[in-house]
Amino acid sequence: MNNKTEAQSIKWENILELVFDSRIDSVGLNERVNSLATRSIKKESKLDALNMIVSMCDLTTLEGEDTEGKISQMVAKAITPNPSDLDIKNVAAVCVYPSLVSIAKEKVGNSGVKVAAVSSYFPSGQVPMESKLLDTKYAIESGADEIDIVINRKAFLEGDYRRVYDEIVALKEACGDVHLKTILEVGDLKTYENIRKASLISLAAGSDFIKTSTGKLSVGSSRQACYVMAKAVLDFKNLTGLSAGIKVAGGIRDAKDAIRYLVLINEEMGDEWLTPNLFRFGASSLLDDVLKQIKKLKTGAYQASYYFPRG
Amino acid sequence: MIEIKKTYKNYVGGKYIRSESGKTFTLNLKNDSFEVPLTSKKDIRDAVTSSKAGFAKWSEISPYTKTQILYRLSEMIEGHKDSYIDLLVLGGSTKNQAKKDVETAIENIVWYAGLADKWEQVSGNLNPVNGEYFNISHQNPIGVVFSLNSDSNSLTSLLNSIIQPLTVGCSVISFSEESSIIALKFAEDINNSDFPPGSLNILSGQFEKIFEDVSKHVEINLVSICKIIPNEILKKIQENASSSVKRIINMPSEDGISSILPFLETKTVWHPKGT
Amino acid sequence: MVNWEYSESVESQDIVKIKDKYQNFVDGNFQQPNSKKYINTISPSTEEVLSKIVISNEKDVNNAIKSAQMGFEKWSKTSPHERSKYLFKLARLIQERSREFAVLESMDGGKPIKESRDFDLPQVAANFFYFAGWADKIDLSWGAKSLKPHGVVGQIIPWNFPLLMLSWKIAPALATGNTVVLKPAETTSLTALLFAELCEQAGIPDGVVNIITGDGTTGSLLVNHKDINKIAFTGSTQVGKSIQKSLAGRDVGLTLELGGKAANIIYEDAAIDQAVEGVVNGIFFNQGHVCCAGSRLLLQESIHDEFVAKLEKRMQTLRVGNPLDKNTDIGAINSKEQLDKIEGLVNEGVSDGGKIFQTECELPGNGFWFKPTLFTDVQPSYSIAREEIFGPVLTTLTFRTPQEAIEIANNTEYGLSAGVWTEKGSKILWTADRLQAGVVWANTFNKFDPASPFGGYKESGFGREGGRQGLLSYLKAES
Repeated sequence: MNNKTEAQSIKWENILELVFDSRIDSVGLNERVNSLATRSIKKESKLDALNMIVSMCDLTTLEGEDTEGKISQMVAKAITPNPSDLDIKNVAAVCVYPSLVSIAKEKVGNSGVKVAAVSSYFPSGQVPMESKLLDTKYAIESGADEIDIVINRKAFLEGDYRRVYDEIVALKEACGDVHLKTILEVGDLKTYENIRKASLISLAAGSDFIKTSTGKLSVGSSRQACYVMAKAVLDFKNLTGLSAGIKVAGGIRDAKDAIRYLVLINEEMGDEWLTPNLFRFGASSLLDDVLKQIKKLKTGAYQASYYFPRG
Repeated sequence: MIEIKKTYKNYVGGKYIRSESGKTFTLNLKNDSFEVPLTSKKDIRDAVTSSKAGFAKWSEISPYTKTQILYRLSEMIEGHKDSYIDLLVLGGSTKNQAKKDVETAIENIVWYAGLADKWEQVSGNLNPVNGEYFNISHQNPIGVVFSLNSDSNSLTSLLNSIIQPLTVGCSVISFSEESSIIALKFAEDINNSDFPPGSLNILSGQFEKIFEDVSKHVEINLVSICKIIPNEILKKIQENASSSVKRIINMPSEDGISSILPFLETKTVWHPKGT
Repeated sequence: MVNWEYSESVESQDIVKIKDKYQNFVDGNFQQPNSKKYINTISPSTEEVLSKIVISNEKDVNNAIKSAQMGFEKWSKTSPHERSKYLFKLARLIQERSREFAVLESMDGGKPIKESRDFDLPQVAANFFYFAGWADKIDLSWGAKSLKPHGVVGQIIPWNFPLLMLSWKIAPALATGNTVVLKPAETTSLTALLFAELCEQAGIPDGVVNIITGDGTTGSLLVNHKDINKIAFTGSTQVGKSIQKSLAGRDVGLTLELGGKAANIIYEDAAIDQAVEGVVNGIFFNQGHVCCAGSRLLLQESIHDEFVAKLEKRMQTLRVGNPLDKNTDIGAINSKEQLDKIEGLVNEGVSDGGKIFQTECELPGNGFWFKPTLFTDVQPSYSIAREEIFGPVLTTLTFRTPQEAIEIANNTEYGLSAGVWTEKGSKILWTADRLQAGVVWANTFNKFDPASPFGGYKESGFGREGGRQGLLSYLKAES
């Protein structure tokens, strides 16, 4: 179980001011994010960072062609990312469609790897509320430990922020104790101010985590989006005392980039957030690059992908 | 040993290509002859598509970077001075004339390179309007420019038909007839100079075959004619252009700041001042 | 919980070769100076001696000016096209040896390598590129055929951006047809002397660029020399005033770029997180050794507490340390003198009643260092609110209305720069109109470009550097 303050919804009226007060200058923001990318970490810390990234990965497969066999392979990798280096511990979670939750749950056993399921008619969310509740409940009944939902972008872009909030509150209720991540889909929101507003609305509605993207659009996560979300999480904490988590997904291709995210979180939020309980990477190809870099640090030689088992 | 003769091709979107028609025509220079692409209407259409993309990228590039790219072009040509001189001599110039021509061309590029990051300080301005308003006029490049090169056996003339719109941020489709060889060779130094693909496309052919298409093509924003053409053709071009209000410039000035003015659009922005 | 350690990611000093002793650069080559007085130039972060430079005397100044006069004759005969090409050449050489210059600048002056590498050097190259392009277009710049160069220009530059200030002086001077005798600051002469090598490499005609080292006495000799046609000075207001006085009654052109006490105005409708970044950048960039530093934080009272809380938190992440460490944000204070001055003013601020906040950081043992500092609860009468501190110290004042912000911002003898933070466009323009400052940064700060004119109102000096207007500093209208 997560040992942090349980997320809870706060009243809509209490978040209104913060939401409508959202003002961001994109040029200034980009400059700050770029300057954070010039930090370079000590070699010893690098190994720690890479191991931390592994522990924060949600290994993901969300394809029409996913089968029980595919999931079994991925779970094996999630539990033992590199069989020839058992110092590397398991990843945080696997992330799958609802119909694959049972097999995933069976295969993870008591390894400590969580099973996250996407729901609410992921990725578009363009259906009535009943359907969104249905696949969520199905995933939970199948044994999901975590649920990743999508916000109603249609409602958001139409200006109906209240509906966005209400839907998340309802889905949170359906989740009960199950950990809820709310996907903003920053690629649809486009502006930093929209990302901030969506973050605050999602946090106010009781999300445990806010997540950048579904990974299904060409525009996934960016460090800029992460920065906006980090500020929103901090401002929300300032208002309520509650610490929520951030998950970045979609487009984080290599370890170098992942480390830049950690640097950003470290400097902007502090090391309270440097734990899988409050920060996650939605990964598929990222994990392999991290494993390569770990091996390189330990052996001094550059690595090739074929040394690492497919997941 | 038998000499390997170079094949000159069109240069579009950063690549060297033949005409899609497969056709060529013979350029009979004073001291040699070459087969060069006979650009077709479809080639023109493809070049415009490429130029549109090139314009988007070229206009995004900062003025400072444009200065550096243009300066690099001068460095490239300086490095290949001799090969230009040889080609000009094949075309009928004396060695001395050719040398002077290349040196002048290089000087001109350097002049325009140094203009790229400052012309707007001379062309744009604040307007002292009446009222609590901030009002500023600034210039944007017009877009895709089709430029007809003169027939002179001269690198300077070629540059004079291209450099002005390029400097202010337009993308250029340069079309040559009798002077194609120098133009197609010049493409090589463009290729070496970090210009984004499509910002400068270089074609050879016969203008009478494609002028109708060019003057009617809505996505060509301006046609610049740097060679004397028969009045009837000019008239036809101007008539066709009117259907999309395309700008036609006949024999543009080569003099200093006046040389860039035709390729600019002025935008004026108002904003109130108050608390 | 991981304790994050950034690497000692130290830029190697190997790339730089520093001589034991330096000569002056006069008449196209390094020459033995007449003066026998040498001083040590040290690294302010370690206090180690880097080299020796000479304090040029009257004979040295004389030689330099004579050389510049002969250089002027040559330069005047050089076509504008050719002058343009020389400057382009210098620009390229600077680009090529950028890393070397950046490391040397950080060693000699104390500024972080991150800044010398990512800001100073690119700007230096950009300045030469920009002015190279004006050299053959002067008649285009003002449509006035009567604008001519002064002749021999004496240039005195400060220690805060040594090579950058050199480029701001030499590039436009040469582009407009003048020749120069430049005296760098005595604590930071090494990059100027390395630049002289580039002049040799580029084949700049003899006498066009002359670089002589020295202190205030040398500067004085330069200013008072009978054959100087113009003086360009960047430095303290105090020295600026004495130079202006020395030139009284003489037909010598003068431009001054002096001190500042810029107000950074934060309206309540600003984008707060970006404003915090802008404020931090405004005062802590280059350790606050910036004439246009945003040293007075003017906060609208309604957002005071929220802003200060965010600001203090952000300040805490600033890393003070070895300038050659790529992770360092704030380097060493340039000299013991400057450190003493900063400490003095900060102590006054405390005894006057200001509330002080300083970040928790470990300062290196050797060298000159000061922690990032913020004062709140300050009255406009305190010395920390009026005097230029030239260090990493920010003073906070509050206002309630835009009119009041203007009054407080303008309530100073300085007028170099100002910052305005609000998301409302009309308020930016209204405020900018009323600020008595030569540079107004709205929703940003410390932005420089060779194309953008820079200079002050009131006691921050007169004349502009950069842009089309900047050319006028080196041209005079023939009557």
